[in-house]
Amino acid sequence: MAITEAHAGRRYPPTDPYHVSAAKIAEFATALGDDNPRYRGDSPIAPPTFAAVISSRAWQQLFTDPELELSVERIVHGDQRFTFVRPLRPGDIVIATARIDRVRLRAGSELISATVDISADTELICTAQATFSHAREAAA
Amino acid sequence: MKATVVEGVEVGTTLPPMTMRFTREHLVRYAGASTDFNPIHYSEYFAGRVGLPGVIAHGMLTMGTALRIVTNWVGDPGRVISYGVRFTRPVVVPDDADGVEVEFRGSVSAVDGSLVTVSIEAISDGQKVLGAARAEVDLGVRVPHRDHEA
Repeated sequence: MAITEAHAGRRYPPTDPYHVSAAKIAEFATALGDDNPRYRGDSPIAPPTFAAVISSRAWQQLFTDPELELSVERIVHGDQRFTFVRPLRPGDIVIATARIDRVRLRAGSELISATVDISADTELICTAQATFSHAREAAA
Repeated sequence: MKATVVEGVEVGTTLPPMTMRFTREHLVRYAGASTDFNPIHYSEYFAGRVGLPGVIAHGMLTMGTALRIVTNWVGDPGRVISYGVRFTRPVVVPDDADGVEVEFRGSVSAVDGSLVTVSIEAISDGQKVLGAARAEVDLGVRVPHRDHEA
């Protein structure tokens, strides 16, 4: 069956551990055209929105959940909010855990709000809240 | 490390603006760095199939770039404690040498002790491409309030 409001509260298992590296942080900062020295050198931190690299692994679980019958190519990112406890750093081994907070049915689309917690062991590092719009029919 | 900006921060303080140009090269680079390989960010064919007017920039590229206005200002990106946006319009990136220009502006919209909220605008082709874009930064020290300075 397709996604309904009743899927609010649905939880996904943690993603496989992600190893944050200095090389990936530098690559990400370069892709943003950002030469901030804090992203490079001996003890870099990750750009705040690097958290999306990790949360996207949890979003994929949701997008490909057969129970929800979503078409990944018809999903559009509607809004995004991050709350940071601390920056991600090289050496962090983090997991991302997703849950669906709310599903709203619209004419021809569903709005799916989801929260992803990014943590190392039991330490919460960042929370990513997103709303995705899923178009039920392919565009004409 | 660059010193944080504290002196004189108050509601209405404007941050240095920034203009960025996104070309297809930027999208390819961001796709690789972020691992977001959705083909609407590199293929006209797939973009057209989902009803888009052309290849569009990753929303997260626009969001991540917009935050630079804040992190350039505070120096230490570790001071960002929250950041949220709505993706209001897709940024279409043509397949040419010029790409598309996005203009970013920021101003302080709230000050609460050491916590400063910056509201960000991102404009492309005369249209806002981000809505309700706000970043909260902790400047680490209490921002001197005008009323208390006398």
